[in-house]
Amino acid sequence: MPRLNQLALNEEGFVFDPTTGDSFLLNKTGLFIIERLRENKDHEEVLESLVDAFEVTAEQAERDISDFQTRLKAIGLH
Amino acid sequence: MDKIFVAVSGINAVDNPGPGVAVARSLKEDEGLGVQVAGLAYDAMEPGVYMDWVVDRSFVMPYPSGKGQDYIDRLLYIKDSFGLDFVIPNLDAELPLYIKYADQLDKAGIKTFLPTKEQFRLRGKDRLVEVAEKIRIRVPETRAVHSVDALVEAIGEIELPVMVKGSYYQAYRAYTTQEAVGYYNKLVAEWGYPIIVQQVVTGDELNVVGVGDGDGELLGMVGMKKMWITSQGKVWTGVTVKNERMLDAAASLVHEFKWRGPFELECIVSGEDVFLIEINPRFPAWCYLATGVGLNLPARIVRRALGLPYEIGTDYEAGKLFVRYTYELVTSMDRLQAATTRGESP
Repeated sequence: MPRLNQLALNEEGFVFDPTTGDSFLLNKTGLFIIERLRENKDHEEVLESLVDAFEVTAEQAERDISDFQTRLKAIGLH
Repeated sequence: MDKIFVAVSGINAVDNPGPGVAVARSLKEDEGLGVQVAGLAYDAMEPGVYMDWVVDRSFVMPYPSGKGQDYIDRLLYIKDSFGLDFVIPNLDAELPLYIKYADQLDKAGIKTFLPTKEQFRLRGKDRLVEVAEKIRIRVPETRAVHSVDALVEAIGEIELPVMVKGSYYQAYRAYTTQEAVGYYNKLVAEWGYPIIVQQVVTGDELNVVGVGDGDGELLGMVGMKKMWITSQGKVWTGVTVKNERMLDAAASLVHEFKWRGPFELECIVSGEDVFLIEINPRFPAWCYLATGVGLNLPARIVRRALGLPYEIGTDYEAGKLFVRYTYELVTSMDRLQAATTRGESP
């Protein structure tokens, strides 16, 4: 199972990684993105839903997703 | 069911705690077993002597490094005066004695469930590379050295900083060759040869406690990440984890070496790499965490050894927090007096 799907997360954005024991606190945007990624949404779907939910431009949403994915990669989660 | 009398040592529940109180508490929580706990202490001040809700009676023991038969005679006395069906030794220094006298104890009706002599030797840090290869886990670059020249040569190969370790106990981090030579001499004087020189690896400290049945099967295991440690490196806050590589390595240890009894693997995890740092052939002091998440390993050992039914479930929830705390009890001086003068309390 991908590491992302093994994470335990609650509605307040607290995330626990059972493989490493690390925990993180996500903001609303991060929580929104990670929930979509765990639902196997593709990049376009995440982008569109982020634009709709947060009323931001596609450019801004693109930047947020890209930043967030870079961080996930850095800790081996994506 | 009749009561079962179990002795546990390591009831020194101090800032560098022995595992005994955690083991005794676990046994008490298996109500179906009806365990009466004899606490084996080496000092009348060990806190477990006074914790009468987990230790029913305490006995001050002769040191295991002394005459082995004196120690065994003390156990036989405990059997006669209190009752003793099973012993769980929890301190490294006791294990050679218990392994040596296991047959004699068994004939006297006192059972144990311990690693064999050969399995016990595997905990030596000079054997780590061999064990790690078999259980498919990495080990920091390691050399066993017997001279200062060999130490300096090893430092040249591994590069500073290095860990300088006794074969079984104590470890120091050395940033210069001079510092390493100082630690080498100190360790040789205290523990003898060989001295282990090891690459420093950084990452998270993840440990696993488990029990092997001696036939290659696990009776259970639980992984834990140290989140907060004391100045001596002892876990004070931890959390259950399921690091598959580490758990696979623990299962392999049991399978490949037909490990019997409790064990702890100490690992450093860095990204995808899991490094084996130490094998302890006994329960760790944090083993109540396993009981707390549903795997009562001490009770499983007793049940298995005495031929009683035991749970075989091995799953547990990751993300369960373990918080150690300090607490005080106030009691009569009578207990201290009894432990000091009679060697048992109450």
